[in-house]
Amino acid sequence: MNNFFIGILIFILSGFIASIFKKNNKINILSILCLAGSLFSLTPALNVLFTNEKLMTQCNFNPIFGTITFALDPLSAFFVVVICTMSLMGVIYSKGYLKPYLDKVKNINSHLIFLPLLIASMLLVVSCQNAFAFLIFWEIMSLSSFFLVIFESDKKEVLKAGIKYLVFMHISVIFIIIAFALCAINSGSYDFDIFSQILKENQHLANLIFIFAFIGFGTKAGFVPFHNWLPDAHPAAPSHISAIMSGVMIKTGIYGILRVISFYAMPSKALAFAVLAISLVSALYGVLYAITQHDLKRLLAYHSIENIGIIGIGTGIGMLGLAYGQNQIALIGFAGAILHVLNHSIFKELLFLSAGSVYIKTHTRDIEILGGLIKQMPHTAILFLTGSVAICGLPPFNGFISEFLIYFSMLKGLAIKDFFVLIALLFSIAGLALVGTMAVLCFTKAFSIIFLGIPRSKNAQTVTTDSEKSMLLPMGFLAILTLLIGVFPQYILDIVLKPASTVANMTIIPSTSCAGLMQTISLCTFGFIAFVIVLLAIKLKFSGKIEMHETWGCGYDRGNNRMQYSASSYASPFLSMLRPLFKKIFDIEKPRQLFPKSAHFSLHIDDIEEAYVINPLVKFDEWFLSKFETIQSGNIQSYIKYGLIFLVLIIIGSLFIG
Amino acid sequence: MAIKILNILIVLFVPFLMLGIIKKTKAFWGGRYGASIFQPLYDFIKLMKKDFVISKTTSGVFRITPVIVIASVLFAALFVPLASSSAIINIEAGFIVFAYILSFSKFFSLISAMDTGSSFEGMGASREACFTTIVEPAFFMLLASVMALSGNYTFDSLGKIIENAGGYGILICIFAVLVLFIMILIEGSRVPVDDPATHLELTMIHEVMILDNSASDLALISWANGIKMLLLSSLIAAIVIPQGLTTGLSAVAYLVLMFLISVIIGTIESATARIRMSHVFEFVFVMSSFALIVLSLVAARMFGG
Repeated sequence: MNNFFIGILIFILSGFIASIFKKNNKINILSILCLAGSLFSLTPALNVLFTNEKLMTQCNFNPIFGTITFALDPLSAFFVVVICTMSLMGVIYSKGYLKPYLDKVKNINSHLIFLPLLIASMLLVVSCQNAFAFLIFWEIMSLSSFFLVIFESDKKEVLKAGIKYLVFMHISVIFIIIAFALCAINSGSYDFDIFSQILKENQHLANLIFIFAFIGFGTKAGFVPFHNWLPDAHPAAPSHISAIMSGVMIKTGIYGILRVISFYAMPSKALAFAVLAISLVSALYGVLYAITQHDLKRLLAYHSIENIGIIGIGTGIGMLGLAYGQNQIALIGFAGAILHVLNHSIFKELLFLSAGSVYIKTHTRDIEILGGLIKQMPHTAILFLTGSVAICGLPPFNGFISEFLIYFSMLKGLAIKDFFVLIALLFSIAGLALVGTMAVLCFTKAFSIIFLGIPRSKNAQTVTTDSEKSMLLPMGFLAILTLLIGVFPQYILDIVLKPASTVANMTIIPSTSCAGLMQTISLCTFGFIAFVIVLLAIKLKFSGKIEMHETWGCGYDRGNNRMQYSASSYASPFLSMLRPLFKKIFDIEKPRQLFPKSAHFSLHIDDIEEAYVINPLVKFDEWFLSKFETIQSGNIQSYIKYGLIFLVLIIIGSLFIG
Repeated sequence: MAIKILNILIVLFVPFLMLGIIKKTKAFWGGRYGASIFQPLYDFIKLMKKDFVISKTTSGVFRITPVIVIASVLFAALFVPLASSSAIINIEAGFIVFAYILSFSKFFSLISAMDTGSSFEGMGASREACFTTIVEPAFFMLLASVMALSGNYTFDSLGKIIENAGGYGILICIFAVLVLFIMILIEGSRVPVDDPATHLELTMIHEVMILDNSASDLALISWANGIKMLLLSSLIAAIVIPQGLTTGLSAVAYLVLMFLISVIIGTIESATARIRMSHVFEFVFVMSSFALIVLSLVAARMFGG
């Protein structure tokens, strides 16, 4: 456990140390220190995961906080592993990504201080067992990530997105505070262990607390309808920050939800169904809006919502299993969800980092004006392709394994002889399949519009080289991880069953029928990859002569880059089926007169929640608050008057109450 | 062992025959004599020997896709029950592996079409991607419902509908077969969804995606498409062919059924025109609604009075 704290200490200090050094060395130093910090924190976590023994330390912070317990049980340890490895990749990547900014941006030091601080606070959040300290670390996490998001704070939209993020995070923390306060009032302590004892006895209180906690943590994680900050904050942040936020930080929300579930003896059936429904809606909503997006990072941000939904489906099935007393189903469901946490952090980080590479080279996030980058950036293209196949949940990559586990738990759940369970699960299975195919549509669109065909604009034509090695290296590592988990799922299943049993409150891990299945799947994927490689070798060996020619254009060979299929036309048949679900904003100037001088067409699709809920709310707020403008007169006398009135009111009030 | 070899032979050769029979049927209804039913096989062999003509725009993705497509389809065949009663790799939730491997091949065929930079191929890809989003959930819903009925999560549950569903058995079978049959029409790109014989690029779906493929690439993709049809037809066979036949008899029944399905597809192609593109969705949604009917029948059987 001491190693763990040494690691955190290194993280906290590393930013300050790095900022002393000269420009080019800064990030090298930071990477080395973060590597050291990660190694120190990882060792105890891995130890816990392999031996399944809980580590615990009590720190005495008298007289303010009292005794605070830090513990690494399998659930915490799993999240520590995710946080350490994934954040480290982001930090290493930042060396190449920040290079163009080193001269331009003044606040580079603050960026370098807050980055490791974010990592340290996330580690503290998942290891801390005391509600009070938890909230403090949670707040440090939110604030440091806010400062990282507004890296390019001279841009107006970045600042706007950052403030939106800040507001959402503080709404979310209110709900978490309410949940913990309710616990604390009823138990008289801030300790998670004592919360757990109280909640196991009081079912109604537990349900109430779960609702508050789900809203609070769900906002962080990005469940619909609390998702609205995600698609704004991710594009605004630099790519390695969006990677860390989307890959790791939003998972602390999932951690919170899982932790609260572990307090429970038995979740109520209604809550389990509600979680399942919200998650299914999130998954569908996320992927649907991802299809509408042409801003690469917004697209990826919506995919985070989708994947959080998939994780939520696994969690919902786990709760359903617990509620109906089916431990096997609960365990596999939670295991699927937890594995998807890891998987999503790997491939989403991979995708955000490759998106960053594309952005650094082309200076645009709009995929409609890209194209043909595979010729100049072959490594980035292959890495993006790996990430895309993995995020669609296709074999032989890791996404398939976690989705398979979730499907499998749902199929097993069909054996619960209950009408509502049957219907809910059948629709969830079909829903998850729909999410998968929609993801395929979205990522075939993204990959082929960015990397295939011919360049659609100057931005894409001027690219000459692939990104630097220091950027490709972490991406390559992540890509290999996606493949490894996909090919050897049986080992990773053993590991994720331990945190899953912590969530489900099982002290011994019952053997599941999954283990054998995973063996078979491992063999199959291995065989499949070998088969593909053999066939490719045969093809290369025996392929005939190749003649290069123009693409077939029905006899017309004067095609130009504007005549290729675009992202919006690719998505159009699908979107036209679901027309009422968007708010489409057209900007059209039709060609006029005999010799038209100018014409343009652009289509922008708004988030339905933003258009019909958030914006009216903000408008109302502005209107309502403007009524109080008169109070702020600007002269000091009236402020003193307010203070006086306030004091008098307090005195009168205390007279009545006291 | 003999059964497994028979299965493999079926996967390799019957798709050509099915395509040949479909063409022969169309020729018959058209009053022509038509080519031999082995013609697709001859075409395949001829194409394998040809040299490539490849677009300058394309990249490595375009070159490896045909191999990935054929590899995944052949691999998917291992998970499906063919002439013998159960699949070679008969695992629980095998249908998920089956569907996802096919999705993997679809992913690559979509990006390969986009790789050419042609607007026609982009159009085909976008339509194909769109139809898949409707087809796959219906397929999952169908299989999951049938599996809920029998409590058996392998493809074997398809053969046990009648014994588990009692009075609902026949109805569930009929709708399940209809769902799968429509899926064959969509995935195999047959009329009324798509017309493999059309010569107008604007109206094609699958055929337009492979406009730029040539030689062995084209051969492999067409073969893979045939195998996909065969695999889906095999699922119909798993429902329709009664359990407990001797191996020889069930193999014969299987081949006869494949023949029948090909003739029916050929007849449909001769009797109807393809649907207008804007109305294809309505046809595809018919499949989803049939899958929903299966779901409600299963629910009625399990919880109804």
